[in-house]
Amino acid sequence: MAIESINGCIGCEECIKSCPTDVIRLDPKTKKAVITFPEDCQICHLCRLYCPVDAITLTPEKTIPVIVSWG
Amino acid sequence: MSSSKENKSISRRNFIALAGGAAGAVALASMGLPMGWAENSPEVDVEALGLDKFSTDVLVIGSGMAGLFAAVKAHDAGAKVMMVSKGRLGSSGQTPFAKGIFAYDHSNEKLSIDEFVAKVSRSAMGSNNEVYTRQMAEHSMARVNELKSWGFFDSAVYHKSFSKPIEERNIPVQERIVVTHLIKEDEKIVGAAGFSTNEQKVIIYEAKSVILCTGAGGFKPNGFPIGDLTHDGTIMAYNIGAKVTGKEWNDGHPGKSENAAASYDGWGNMFEQKPSTVSIEVHHDLGVDLNYMAYTSGNPVKMGGPGSENKTTVSGGPYTPAEFDRKNAQQNQGPQSEEGRPPRGGSKPPGGGKPPKEGGGPPGMDGDRVGGSSAGMAIHKSEGLVPINDQCESNIPGLYAAGDALGSYMSGGIYTQIGSSLAGSAVQGGVAGKAAAKYCKQVGNIKISDPKINEIQEEILAPLKREAGYSPAYVTQTLQGIMIPNFILYIKKESLMKGALAYIEELRDHHMGMLRAANFHELRLAHETANMIVSAEMKLKASLMRKESRCSHYRLDYPEMDNENWQAWINIFKGEDGSMQFEKQPFGQWPNEGVDII
Repeated sequence: MAIESINGCIGCEECIKSCPTDVIRLDPKTKKAVITFPEDCQICHLCRLYCPVDAITLTPEKTIPVIVSWG
Repeated sequence: MSSSKENKSISRRNFIALAGGAAGAVALASMGLPMGWAENSPEVDVEALGLDKFSTDVLVIGSGMAGLFAAVKAHDAGAKVMMVSKGRLGSSGQTPFAKGIFAYDHSNEKLSIDEFVAKVSRSAMGSNNEVYTRQMAEHSMARVNELKSWGFFDSAVYHKSFSKPIEERNIPVQERIVVTHLIKEDEKIVGAAGFSTNEQKVIIYEAKSVILCTGAGGFKPNGFPIGDLTHDGTIMAYNIGAKVTGKEWNDGHPGKSENAAASYDGWGNMFEQKPSTVSIEVHHDLGVDLNYMAYTSGNPVKMGGPGSENKTTVSGGPYTPAEFDRKNAQQNQGPQSEEGRPPRGGSKPPGGGKPPKEGGGPPGMDGDRVGGSSAGMAIHKSEGLVPINDQCESNIPGLYAAGDALGSYMSGGIYTQIGSSLAGSAVQGGVAGKAAAKYCKQVGNIKISDPKINEIQEEILAPLKREAGYSPAYVTQTLQGIMIPNFILYIKKESLMKGALAYIEELRDHHMGMLRAANFHELRLAHETANMIVSAEMKLKASLMRKESRCSHYRLDYPEMDNENWQAWINIFKGEDGSMQFEKQPFGQWPNEGVDII
């Protein structure tokens, strides 16, 4: 869904900084970008456009998670 | 948080069985389905969180086109400036996606500025503020030339060119800061407060003046890149007594019916294009006409290029002045005229942009389209803080706004000049920056009291401290279900808006104060969700109040324009008892003064 994978990350954090909706975070151990909140991806591709090594794959599909009010 | 993979792994039958069972909550949580109400398990030690404090003359909140010029011009006018952004310089709000910028060229344009302003006013049916329309045109070329010198037109992404003038001036920029509060003491602005998603701490800004460059907002709709825009500036300002306006107007951008959530794909490859300038081209782009067609004939609506098959025919609906009616234009050009002409409201990229090819949508926008992609957003520069003069100043001393955060009515309640949105943000940023710097010179040092800081800190962190509560995602989805259907805000009528309002008031009274957050991402979502609830209330009440149809506001129960009662803007402010109050401000006058604008 939406942002799908990051392969070949060099840890520059460009995608993390350029994402308007805070979808990507840095893994403190590996120092690489990790898709952390994919449900908030707006499929705008800014992360991909800023990535210097073209590591990010996005798809146009998005599944909205079902959220249950009463648990 | 769950991934779609986990969700898909649950069959519908299993889901129903689980949800209905006594052990439903535990089972659902264990399978990764998010829950609305649940216990909160904070991932951070709330009691150990730090607090930072900064001091400046002018605080610029937001880092799009308006913020860029506000910071630069305030600095150049002698003020100490600091910029904070929820995202990143040049990469947040709608600025990254706007590719056309209007530049009025005195030497080449056939229309004089007077004639240009008059044409915009005819398209806007009087709903524009001519002072801001003129100001945008007069200053546009100077701002465009500055952008050119910074390399703006050389790249499809704007961070580098935006950084150039900011770095040259050593203006400090703090990114990924969610500002949640404006602070007012002794009836004037003294700063702002929020939190850093990176450093996980509360931050207080003491400032002599604040310029809101926070953009517009929506209901985090699918298919339009405004997921980070939730009217934050407007609601913060409303909470401390600022007047806001423009909530009844509607941006009518449609999205694609296929993969409706994909903002990028909806605009073809437009987001990858370098920006360019646009000359005079005044339209009357509704978008609401498409929504009316879909409402009467059903979704989706076929959109095609010149001469494409479009057999949909509808009668009635939103009024377009004959001068700007594309049907007439097509008749003049040839035999392709059809009653159900391709609706054109969606033919501009977010934030204003390049003129579309004549007779068709922009690349990638052909095909079946559905409404609601930008739900919750008004026409650029119609909603936001009410200016009390031509200096982008609000009714709170020291508080300014520029761009989509200012209800300047530069275009009125409808899209008029192509590309003027980006130009207007640049121009107004510059005007506000200069004015704020001048204001600071007569203000002494600012000191925000400790009790005030403590009070605000508590409000900011409240969702993290709740032992249980509603997830922001659940409340947002509920709000979207109430507000986004086309029979609420697009094709408006009293009974349904009152129905929706009852639901929104319920969210306001029984959910807004019970939002939970386990981390700083969710803390941001919690504050954004609260802002959307207040904005939804404003939009419904303003739409109920405006008992006529004009520009992008269409009432099925009041389809005619009412010039006797409604040559007026609607201002919204917080009453002394905390309730939402409304007033009319006649077109062509500044607020409360009865003074003509021109």
